[in-house]
Amino acid sequence: MLLLTNLMEHTLDEGYAEAAARRPAARPARLLGVDLGAVLLGAGLIVVGLLLATAAVQVRQRAPGAARANSQLTGEITRRTAATDRLVRELDALRVSVARSRRDGLRLTASGTAVAEELTRLEAVTGAAAVVGPGLVVRLNDAPDAGARSDGGAVDPRGADQKTDGRVSDRDLQTVVNEVWAAGAEAVAVNGQRLTSLSAIRSAGGAVLVDFRPLRPPYVVLAVGAPDLRRTLADGFGGSYLQVLHNYGIASSITTRARVALPASGGVTLRSAAVPRQRAGS
Amino acid sequence: MIAAIGLILGVAAGLYLEPTVPLGLQPYLPIAVVAALDAVFGGLRALLDGIFNDKVFVVSFTANVLVAALIVYLGDQLGVGSQLSTGVVVVLGIRIFSNAAAIRRHLFRA
Repeated sequence: MLLLTNLMEHTLDEGYAEAAARRPAARPARLLGVDLGAVLLGAGLIVVGLLLATAAVQVRQRAPGAARANSQLTGEITRRTAATDRLVRELDALRVSVARSRRDGLRLTASGTAVAEELTRLEAVTGAAAVVGPGLVVRLNDAPDAGARSDGGAVDPRGADQKTDGRVSDRDLQTVVNEVWAAGAEAVAVNGQRLTSLSAIRSAGGAVLVDFRPLRPPYVVLAVGAPDLRRTLADGFGGSYLQVLHNYGIASSITTRARVALPASGGVTLRSAAVPRQRAGS
Repeated sequence: MIAAIGLILGVAAGLYLEPTVPLGLQPYLPIAVVAALDAVFGGLRALLDGIFNDKVFVVSFTANVLVAALIVYLGDQLGVGSQLSTGVVVVLGIRIFSNAAAIRRHLFRA
């Protein structure tokens, strides 16, 4: 406190008081008939003005520079994103054309036709190709009061607290998806993420991840399968599990749809390849 | 009179010449400005108190600017540069404020 009090009370440089006490003794020095002190003062104030103006110029020069760099970076991001989108579209188109060429090439021979049919079937099963067909929709949503914030805003599981009551967990989603498979589904997707045999449904910090992509509720499980898929699922363990979830306030519904479109999985990569044995005469 | 001319001359020179500050000195410029303002307000108050002394003013101005820059430089080297510049600005800000209040009392008797 002493330091602060001292600071508040002795704001004027003490040199002034000391100089005032000494002054009567000294006679002002003179240079070419002008008071030397006044020249000194003028020079000092020139430096003060120079300093202030330089600082002001400096600040004003720097501000538009930062803004320009910022807008340049924003433009760069937009441009690169657009380029990436264009490349992705191009890739999709090329994939379709490659698939068509491969099918056309295989159809030239009888054995090739069989291979093409096998390929189509495998692509559907492994998730390498998009699938359209009759199927069902299972919808799961968190209980209305699960982890609700005081502002009443929508719950973002990626940032919410670890309050798990009435929240759809990764294990719930795993069980439901497994029951959908067990009921005879041929292809399954969760919130637009196609599931393959290597897909993982996990959780991180309260968020459900499918193939390491965080999902937001409501969770929509799309499945393509036989017409009695819904009945098999509802009558089996899946139906009773959904009933248990219902007791925790998790709303769910199973509806049949005549046409369900599932996207291809983005995570299918070539893992092993071999040159087929050449048959004699071919 | 000489003081006013000097100040105007300095500002004009700064605006027209636009001297470039070396990159290494740029962090100390704002602190130097605050220190200079403190010296100017102190001098103005001394003038109104009737004890102004040009030598004391010039020496206090130069010393203030150098010491403020030195403190910040030292802080930069020790890793507490931003905290120390905040400290310098607070201390000089308090002084500027009280000197401005003293000047106001002199001018308006209130």
